Amino acid sequence: MKLKLCTLCLVVFTKTAFTQNIEPTKKPPNLSSKSFLERTEFKVAYSGSIFWNNGLNFGAEYVLKETIKTKNRRGEERSNTHQFLLNGNLGFTTNFSTSTDTGIFTNVGITWRRTNKKGKQFSIEFNPFGYYRSFLPETYEVNGNNVEKVFLPGRSYYAPSLSVGIGKQRPGKKITGRYFNINFMLRTPYNAGNLPTFNLQYGFRFNLKKKKRNEEIN
Amino acid sequence: MKKLINIYTKILVLAVVLCTSVSCSEDDNLSNLNDTLFVRHKNADMPAYIHGNASEKVFLIILHGGPGGFGLNYRGATIKSEIEKECAVVYFDQRGSGMSQGNYSESGVSIDIMAEDVLALSKVIKHKYGEDSKLFLMGHSWGGTLGPATLLKDQSDFLGWIDVDGSHNTKGLYEEYIANFRRVAAEQIDLENNVEYWNSVIDFVNSVPQQYTDIDDMYTLNNEAFEAELQLEASNVINKPEDIDGKVIFKYNILTLIWNLLKVQSILDRNLFENLTFTDRLSEITIPSLVLWGKHDMVVPIGFAQEAYDNLGSSEKELVIFERSGHSPMFSEPDLFADKVIEFIYQYK
Repeated sequence: MKLKLCTLCLVVFTKTAFTQNIEPTKKPPNLSSKSFLERTEFKVAYSGSIFWNNGLNFGAEYVLKETIKTKNRRGEERSNTHQFLLNGNLGFTTNFSTSTDTGIFTNVGITWRRTNKKGKQFSIEFNPFGYYRSFLPETYEVNGNNVEKVFLPGRSYYAPSLSVGIGKQRPGKKITGRYFNINFMLRTPYNAGNLPTFNLQYGFRFNLKKKKRNEEIN
Repeated sequence: MKKLINIYTKILVLAVVLCTSVSCSEDDNLSNLNDTLFVRHKNADMPAYIHGNASEKVFLIILHGGPGGFGLNYRGATIKSEIEKECAVVYFDQRGSGMSQGNYSESGVSIDIMAEDVLALSKVIKHKYGEDSKLFLMGHSWGGTLGPATLLKDQSDFLGWIDVDGSHNTKGLYEEYIANFRRVAAEQIDLENNVEYWNSVIDFVNSVPQQYTDIDDMYTLNNEAFEAELQLEASNVINKPEDIDGKVIFKYNILTLIWNLLKVQSILDRNLFENLTFTDRLSEITIPSLVLWGKHDMVVPIGFAQEAYDNLGSSEKELVIFERSGHSPMFSEPDLFADKVIEFIYQYK
C-alpha cells in the first residue's frame, strides 16, 4: 500500500514539475546603459516595535543584477524579476517614555528581491556590516570616589541585521513601491553577551529618475 | 519630487528635535523630580529613574528583585502615590538588568561588583543633588541579597536599611522552601482551603531531593512558590496585589527585559543557592533597620524575617509582619507598607 502511495506521489510530482516547464529566461541585463540614479531607489520607513521603540529608517538600493525568469504554468506564461541590490540604511530609534533606548544605526548589505507580474514583491535583506550607537540621557561615570559627567554618553555596537519582507511595486507613481519588513538586528557586545532586537519596518520607495524608468518598463 | 523630499526632510528634522528634547528633558524642580540618569561604572551603564519629592534631599533607593528584575516595577501603589510625596524614590536597573547597557565579560557580573554599582549610584546622587543628600536603601527579594552586600562594603552613606522579604541567606533557601511548603500545606488542609492543591504540594516536596543538589530543583521549588501564592490569593488568605502600574510595559522593551533577565540569572544563579549567605555578617550592619515581611511569603519564607531581625547589628531595628501578604507586601497591603516606610524615614532622616 505504502509503495503504491509513494509511486503515485512520485508520478504526480514528476508530472507537475515537468508540466510547469520552468524556463529560466535570462534577458540580457540592460543595467549598464542605465545611469546611477536610474538604478537607485531611495526609501523611507517607519522602523520600530510600536509599543516600545519607534523611529525612522532611510536608505537606498542600487540594482547590481537583474534577471527575468519566465515559466509556463498551466498554459499561462509567468515572469518574475529577480534582483540583487546593494543596500544601505541609516536610521534612528527611541523609546520616548524614558529615552533609555535611543540610538542611531547604519548598515550595508545585499538584498535579494523577487517581483511578480502583478508587482508583488518578496525580499530578503542581509546587512552584515552594521553599526549601532546608543545615546543615553544624563550620565555620570564613577571611578573610585571620582564622579564625572559624561559627554555624549552612549555605546557603540556591531549590529548586523536581517530583514524579510513583502512589498508592492507601483509603476508610474511618484512613490515607486511600498514595503513591510520584519527586521532582526543583533547588537554585540551587549552587557555580558549580545542583544537581539526585532523591529517592524513599513515604508515607501521612490526613484529620482522615476519617469524615465517607467517609460522603459512600459 | 522636491515636495516629497521636503516633506521627508521636515519629518526627519521634527523627529530629531523631538528625540533630542525628550532625551534632554530634566525637571529641576526638587519637589517633583522626574529624572532619568545613568550611572557608568565598571563598563556598565545603568539607569536610575528618580521620581518624587526631593525638597529635603531625602532619597530612597530601591533595589529590585530577580536577579534580573527592573526598577520601575516598584513604581505603583503607595510607593508612587504616598512615598514619592515624602521623598524622592530612586528606581534603579541593576547591571545586566532592565535597560542597562554595557560591555563586560561574564566575570563582570557578580554580587560584589553589583554592590559597588549601588555605592556608585549613591555617589552620583550626592554629586548631582548635593553632599547633604540623605540616602535610605530598600531591597526586595534579591534586592535583599544585594542590599546587605552593599552595606557590608560601606554603610556610611546610608541613614537606614529597609529589608522587604529579602533573601539575605540564599544558601538556606532550598531547605526552608521544603519546610515552609509542608507547614503551609498542613495549615491550609486544616482550614480546608484548596485541599487537592495542597496535597499535591506535599507530594511534590516529598518527590524532590531534601537537600540542594541541583539548580533545576531550586527553580522548580521557586516556581511552585509563586503558584502557591496564587492559590493563597484565590483562597483569600492574602490580598490580591493592587495598583501595579500597567503603563510600565511602555517603559521597557519587553524582549530586552526578558533577554537580560535570562542572561543575568544564568550567570548569578550558578553560585547563589549553593554558597551565598550573609546571615553571619548581618551583625556588621549597624544603621537603623526596618524588616518588612509578608506572613504568607512562599518565595522567601517568613522564617528568614526573624533571622534577619535577630542578626542585624543595629540597635534601632523593627520587624513588621504583614498579615495578609505574600512576597510583595508593597502591593498587597500598600497602605500599611507606606505608613511603615514613611515613619521609618521620618524617624531617621
